[in-house]
Amino acid sequence: MKLNVPMPVKMVLLVLGTTAFYMYLGQIVPQKEVHPPPPVLIDPGMTTEDLIEVGRELVNGRGICMDCHNDVRAPAFDGVGARASSRIEGLSDIEYLAQSLYDPDAFLVPGFAQGMQKMNEPPISFSDEEMKAVVAWLQSQGGTATVTLETDLGY
Amino acid sequence: MSRNKILFGIGVLAFIAVIVTVRLGGFLVDNEYRQPERQVAVEEAAGEAEATPRQQGIADEQAADEAEARARPYVEAEYRTVPFVGSRVTVWVLAQLHLLFAAFVLAVPIFAFIIEFIGYVTGEKRYDRLAYEFTKLLSVSFSMTATFGAFLTFALIILYPKFTNYLMHIFSPTFLPYVLLFFLEALFLYSYYYGWGKFGPKMHLFLGFMLNVVGTAIMFIANAWLTFMMSPGKREDVDGDGVPDFVSAVSESGALLSLRDAFFNFTWMPINIHRIIANVAFGGSIAAAYAAFRYLQAKNDEDKAHFDWMGYVGNFVAIIAFLPLPFAGYYLAAEIYAYSQTLGIQMMGSTFSWLFVIQAALIGNLFLGANYYLWLGMGRIEGTVHFQKFIKWLLIAIAICFAVWATPRYAISSVSEIAAMGGSSHPQLSYLGQMSAKNTAVNILILSTYMSFLLYRRTGRTSIHPHRQLLTRAQAIVFSTAAMLVIFFGVYGYQVDAATRIRFAIPQVYSVLAAMVVITVIDLPLYRNARQAAQTHWGKMPAISQYALIFIALSFTWLMGLMGYVRSGLRGEWHVYGVVLDTSPDAYTPTLGFATQVVSVTVLIFFGLIGVVFWLSSLGGKKAYEPQAAADADGQLEGA
Repeated sequence: MKLNVPMPVKMVLLVLGTTAFYMYLGQIVPQKEVHPPPPVLIDPGMTTEDLIEVGRELVNGRGICMDCHNDVRAPAFDGVGARASSRIEGLSDIEYLAQSLYDPDAFLVPGFAQGMQKMNEPPISFSDEEMKAVVAWLQSQGGTATVTLETDLGY
Repeated sequence: MSRNKILFGIGVLAFIAVIVTVRLGGFLVDNEYRQPERQVAVEEAAGEAEATPRQQGIADEQAADEAEARARPYVEAEYRTVPFVGSRVTVWVLAQLHLLFAAFVLAVPIFAFIIEFIGYVTGEKRYDRLAYEFTKLLSVSFSMTATFGAFLTFALIILYPKFTNYLMHIFSPTFLPYVLLFFLEALFLYSYYYGWGKFGPKMHLFLGFMLNVVGTAIMFIANAWLTFMMSPGKREDVDGDGVPDFVSAVSESGALLSLRDAFFNFTWMPINIHRIIANVAFGGSIAAAYAAFRYLQAKNDEDKAHFDWMGYVGNFVAIIAFLPLPFAGYYLAAEIYAYSQTLGIQMMGSTFSWLFVIQAALIGNLFLGANYYLWLGMGRIEGTVHFQKFIKWLLIAIAICFAVWATPRYAISSVSEIAAMGGSSHPQLSYLGQMSAKNTAVNILILSTYMSFLLYRRTGRTSIHPHRQLLTRAQAIVFSTAAMLVIFFGVYGYQVDAATRIRFAIPQVYSVLAAMVVITVIDLPLYRNARQAAQTHWGKMPAISQYALIFIALSFTWLMGLMGYVRSGLRGEWHVYGVVLDTSPDAYTPTLGFATQVVSVTVLIFFGLIGVVFWLSSLGGKKAYEPQAAADADGQLEGA
């Protein structure tokens, strides 16, 4: 038996069906709600160990560093603390790491393109103290962290 | 069930609803305590009237409310909320609805003007009628655009007062020109529509031209506001080291430094270009859906033929604009990357990466729908057998490209599946999820769709050009070379580093664009004055072809909603990226599932409203109302 469905009903069914299908696609992909990173408090009495912990939070949170530093778009962080002092002649590991954060295009690791933003500028806007925490964490990746809140990063 | 029965059923339900409401209201009023009227009158006359406990209670409550209001200091609100729905969703839906109607109102005059111009040059009246039919959709849509624009403005002022005030601080000098242009838009639109056939053709074409100029200018101003929110400045090599520096249009505290830089900000022109093309594609699809609606309603062959042709032209406009749209999208994305790599990464490699899998499904459906309609369209032309043999190969190419494009790099898998694959990505299929494969797929999709158009154009026609064989072979060589170049760069992309791989997209795009231009340039003289070997039977399309047109319009609308979301959502927790932080409870990026629900609801509202536009536009073709008695009397007179 042939079902004679009126044209307006067919149109409504087409509109609802197509919309429902696309909405369904939206439900089956991974669901992630992204909240702004919580503020990081840096106490004047923090030690280098404390700074490493704060740096880890910043690198994984507000800095969104891990989105790129995976050896595909930008160099991975594994061992960066060990090789930082030998990257540019005349620059210590702290100076090199600080330069990478304040002026990332000044030196590019061979094989990678420029484009990383200056981390003290919006939208990341790390403060000088937060920069020290990030440098401490980077030093700790294969090296020994020596940065304190009294260290002058030169920027 | 007939329409009369449905209307009767709705009438009965409405009647019952009215009776129930009146009875309920009466019941509530009847049960309210009142003092007997005579007693009140006696007490009032004697000056002894006393308040009842209820009146006293109400008076006390009012006094307490007033005292509380007086004690409360005035605080400037930063945000206000909407119960249940929330402020963000309210503004989101209103902005999207405004944008959809605005896109339609800006797009239709572009191709209506072009079609009218073709009619003027060729002298064929059918083009003039077609352009008028498109223009009929404009007046109601224009009102809808203005209504939602006003609604959106009020919603922003009420719900985001501080942020709206900030935007006014930056852009207030642009508001008066905007309003004046809007006034001119109304003037040109209504004179273009109501002046059809009333002015000379040149004057009327001038009105259409001005309508487009003013409409585009309006969009450019509005685009400055929204692109400023994403890129509040420009990039310029200030220190002379060869690397573009960020030059903000506002100070660190948000104060305006340069209106020029705020207006002509970094992503302004890419958005302008992308929107003009996308609007034409969207407008064409909605106009084709209107034609489909009228085709399915048509009772005679003449109307069927007219609306079949209108649907074909609308779809033609949509797809012709759709072909370069991925390139415009690529340009926009590249400019977003160039402005801020952080934004670019957010878009393609982080929060929104899965959104582009949904986008791939939508675009794949659009290509399939458009090609399906064209292939069905060959059926209205005699002698299509020669070309139909190519269709299965085109279908295979499109299906493969669709599958490649929709393949994600990382699959959604269970723990056991991850263990079996040896990671979150499939060992072989994940290669198809990379940029090289996707760029190749979309370029081949575009070439295949272009080929469908070419076959349709040739159906039923025989070239009489003296060098037809040579030119046809030249076209085949150009097409094959472009396809091979696209595939070559796609495969070679796996052998090079990421930066080089991304740059390979450019020769791929140029190959396809160049092929389409060269083949078209060859095709025009090749089929000029071609012998019409077969008749085209307009109005002989199966009903499913018309539903395909509606499906294409739906997919376009949904795609616009989705891409509107990603463009706006990219900013994350920023009202103005890097300048004004969103501190409202909605300052987070919702899940894709939630976003697609909002997009779906918006699309359904839009289609409900566009249905009203279609219905109102179709009233013009109906017979004028005649009272029954007069009609009967006329009938009797004629009978006598």
